[in-house]
Amino acid sequence: MISVIDSIGLSVIKTVIMVRDFVVLTLRTLVYTFTPPFRVSDIFKQLYFVINESAPIVIFCVCSAAAVTIIESSFHMKIIIQNDALVPGFAALLILRELGAVVSALLVTSRVGAGIAAEVGTMQITEQIDALKMLGINPIRFLVVPRLIASVIGGVVLSILANLVCLYVAMLVSQYKLGHSAGSFIVAMRAFVSMQDLYFAAIKGACFGFVIPLVSCYFGFRCKAGAEGVGLATTNSVVTISISIITIDFILSWIFSYFY
Amino acid sequence: MSATVEFQNVQMSFEEDVLLKNINFQIHKGEKFVLIGPSGEGKSVLLKLMAGILKPSEGKILIEGHDMWNCLPKDRLALLRKMGMLFQKNALFDSLTVGENVAFPMREITQKSEQEIQKQVKYFLQEVDILHALELFPDEISGGMQKRLGIARALALEPGIIFYDDPTAGLDPITSRMIVELILRLQKELNSTIIAITNDMNRAYQMADRMAMVVDGELIITGNVGETQQHKDPRVVQFIHGYLKGPLTEHTEVNA
Ligand SMILES: Nc1ncnc2c1ncn2[C@@H]1O[C@H](COP(=O)(O)OP(=O)(O)OP(=O)(O)O)[C@@H](O)[C@H]1O
Ligand SMILES: [Mg+2]
Repeated sequence: MISVIDSIGLSVIKTVIMVRDFVVLTLRTLVYTFTPPFRVSDIFKQLYFVINESAPIVIFCVCSAAAVTIIESSFHMKIIIQNDALVPGFAALLILRELGAVVSALLVTSRVGAGIAAEVGTMQITEQIDALKMLGINPIRFLVVPRLIASVIGGVVLSILANLVCLYVAMLVSQYKLGHSAGSFIVAMRAFVSMQDLYFAAIKGACFGFVIPLVSCYFGFRCKAGAEGVGLATTNSVVTISISIITIDFILSWIFSYFY
Repeated sequence: MSATVEFQNVQMSFEEDVLLKNINFQIHKGEKFVLIGPSGEGKSVLLKLMAGILKPSEGKILIEGHDMWNCLPKDRLALLRKMGMLFQKNALFDSLTVGENVAFPMREITQKSEQEIQKQVKYFLQEVDILHALELFPDEISGGMQKRLGIARALALEPGIIFYDDPTAGLDPITSRMIVELILRLQKELNSTIIAITNDMNRAYQMADRMAMVVDGELIITGNVGETQQHKDPRVVQFIHGYLKGPLTEHTEVNA
């Protein structure tokens, strides 16, 4: 009994310490983000990495998601209300408010988040981070800040891209599959969504993009020696980011609901 | 004259575990100081404390009389520039080529022109005899060449104090010997202070002016090569001769 309480207590303490360390990392990163020197070329390099690595898979997956959304919703609407005139509106609502931002963020997590955790973790266990410190280079400024800025910008860009591609594909699918013309799709869609929804999707993209590199770098810096260490850092960061994205999505959707 | 490296009552703990306690010693300019000791006793940690990578839990570490953890950022940077290190795991930047690895410290913290940097890179790579690998990446060259590259990068800022963490680990006897010869030649050329870790006793004797052993959280200064070989401490005796029985293996099965 005592040992159970002990181990619960221990894991609570460990969690508290981890959260504290993560908050410290976040605050320090923010301070360095807004104070010189700025490593502009590193930011562009990272931005290229984020967009170049993620855009193809985001576009591919979002196309499938769009097709599924249209086909599924028309199937069910036909059963329930014997009519699929509302499909474009509901599909656009679902895409703009949830699918576009979340699907693209989860894909960026699996590609970029995992990549950063593995890279930083490897640098930690092969003493590359110590080598930076010895040159008086701050690892947070050198590694985290450029990735954070790139990921926030990339998050916004990819979220908007995902949404637009997704809507376009949804329109094509409903044209060929359901016989809605492009014009009627847009008219039906406009009744449900507005430009504001796209802005909110961009805000979601920025918030998800903010979390991804911070969590990945956090686990990378804590990486323990050995190949399992890097594997564990990568897995932990992908799991943690995915849970965070879903949670943040819920919170943001709730906040945005006051503006609709 | 003050010592090049001086430890005053240094203690180092990770979380609650005390790894090194009450360490006091001095290393003088131009000296070749070799650290030995069993695995996991804190040799690398001791070196990283000297190099300013780790901060001591207690006590003071002075480099040329200045306390690195208690001075202005620009003085700290100046102290860091006086030191170079070959890391146990090499710490080569794997996204940069051999040449870029050597150029990295110069690009990051000096005002040298690109032309000057290229000239220096060629010079250092020539010194360690891997100029032909200039354009390759660290994982495309052999272990011995990686050590040479690590040495070239450690020298890039022309530091007065150079740390070598296990420079011969994982190398064959001949390559080990060549690396040690290289370290000694560079030490003579640059008149630098070197602090090296090695558990290859022959290489240790070849390099050392003075030796010390890290064990049980202590640093035992064993003296010069002759003194070390005649040392009375049973832990030192066991270690340098590699005996299976003795105080170092008291708690392992070998003695039971
Ligand atoms: N940054 C760190 N955080 C926590 N513990 C550490 C850290 N660095 C080293 N240690 C611990 O300190 C102990 C000594 O490590 P160190 O690398 O100095 O050993 P060593 O004497 O160099 O051994 P080896 O000969 O195998 O290289 C180890 O138990 C290690 O786990
Ligand atoms: Mg070591």
